[in-house]
Amino acid sequence: MLNYIWAGLIGFSLLFAMTADVRDLANDTYRNGEPVELALGFPEGWDPDRRLVPVTVTVAPSGFAAFYGTDGRGPGPLDGTLLQTADGREIRFAKDVALPEPLATIRSVTSKRDNDLRGRLTGFIAAGDSAATAHVEFNPVRFVKLQAIAQAALSMAETAVTLALGLIGVLALWMGMLQIAEKSGLLYSLVRFTQPVLRPLFPDIPKDHPALGFIALNLTANMLGLGNAATPLGLKAMESLQELNPEKETATNPMIMLLAMNTASVQVVPPVLLVAIMGLAINQLFFSILIVTAVSLAVAILAAKGLGRLKRFRDTDPNRTPAPATETESE
Amino acid sequence: MESVRQAIDLLSVFVIPTLLVGFPLYGLYRRVPVYEEFVVGAKEGFNVAVRIIPYLVAILFAIGMFRASGAMDFLVDGLRPLLSAVGIPPEVFPMMIIRPLTGSGSAAIVLDLIQQFGEDSIIVKIAATMFGSTETTFYVLAVYFGSVGVRKTRHAVPAGLAADFVALVLAVYVVQWLFG
Repeated sequence: MLNYIWAGLIGFSLLFAMTADVRDLANDTYRNGEPVELALGFPEGWDPDRRLVPVTVTVAPSGFAAFYGTDGRGPGPLDGTLLQTADGREIRFAKDVALPEPLATIRSVTSKRDNDLRGRLTGFIAAGDSAATAHVEFNPVRFVKLQAIAQAALSMAETAVTLALGLIGVLALWMGMLQIAEKSGLLYSLVRFTQPVLRPLFPDIPKDHPALGFIALNLTANMLGLGNAATPLGLKAMESLQELNPEKETATNPMIMLLAMNTASVQVVPPVLLVAIMGLAINQLFFSILIVTAVSLAVAILAAKGLGRLKRFRDTDPNRTPAPATETESE
Repeated sequence: MESVRQAIDLLSVFVIPTLLVGFPLYGLYRRVPVYEEFVVGAKEGFNVAVRIIPYLVAILFAIGMFRASGAMDFLVDGLRPLLSAVGIPPEVFPMMIIRPLTGSGSAAIVLDLIQQFGEDSIIVKIAATMFGSTETTFYVLAVYFGSVGVRKTRHAVPAGLAADFVALVLAVYVVQWLFG
């Protein structure tokens, strides 16, 4: 299943990106190679021979929406700089200035580093001391989405490593703590205390096994919205379950149950991130979150149990009897 | 009910300090060489973090590409009539797709909806309930299975997605029922 979803995500990204890019080309969204009209305003007392002149720029004053075929209104006068050299004139919009589409996309594609939109000026006509008109041509923009998906793939690969390495400290802290809990026998008290509830969900785990204790800690941390602690506790539980697994590359039923319960996220206290986003408004949502999370937990448990009964998943169960013969399906 | 809530909130503040202090003290009481054992356990932390890297890269890069491709616009446009027919506001639909894929992405959607509609709008309440009541299934999958090197996930994905699907759809109706 994961193989298909994974390949599907990649395949559809290409398909959607190509469709969007072809549509952009067909609609001429960015008006590549067509100079757009500009009205420039100069500050008082400007020197026409200076290399850099601060200006205000109005793009397509006679009809921005008509020129670019958008619904939005054109931007008002924007800050920018006029660069005058022997080779000609160039307009540079101020860094990070708010631009409407499609100018924002043109900027993000053509000026990745500085985030200032630039274009070559033609037909510069000064009108008095403080105004001028000209036409500007931006660098052509093509295949925006194709470039975007490649960029996203590279940056997400980096993000993945940052995320994983960022976990080292918290993981080490909790794994150390759990080692103490195991050696001191504390974990076994927890196992005895929680197994009447947990054993029915995890029948494949032997009685009094420490995995049950780790699972209990993981679910508790989850319930209390302690995501930071829940992950190391859950990973310790996985490690403990892996010791019981005769086929190290295949997930066992208890592993899948643990995963399903974690993805359903039994949250009584909302996660920290959501509290940060919503502020006090989160208080109203306490019950709606509680109801939804409780039902989805029930669905997760039923699905993990029910799907495990299907023949194709029974046949791949590492704990099936008789003992595994050969490698079968790769799912 | 409000006092139950506050009790739970208070409890969640105390859990981590209690565990962090309680484990070593209890270990000491049981004559466990607590420092030595802590270091033995903590050594695993690094290995686990490194072990999950390939799994996380695989999942996150595919999701990143999918998000950047503009697939969301196509899906929302295509499914708009169906969504309105069953009473799901199209504004929250990107959230339903993104939620199992990325945590930061779905947080960004909630933030964006707050900007557009304000905290008190029904749209934001639905999106926040979706965020709060489900987890980033594919991230959890990569981290949990990655940490022990499990590649064949059997029915883990369908089970996780079934729970997500129910939660995401239910969030719409529960919020409309409570606040509508």
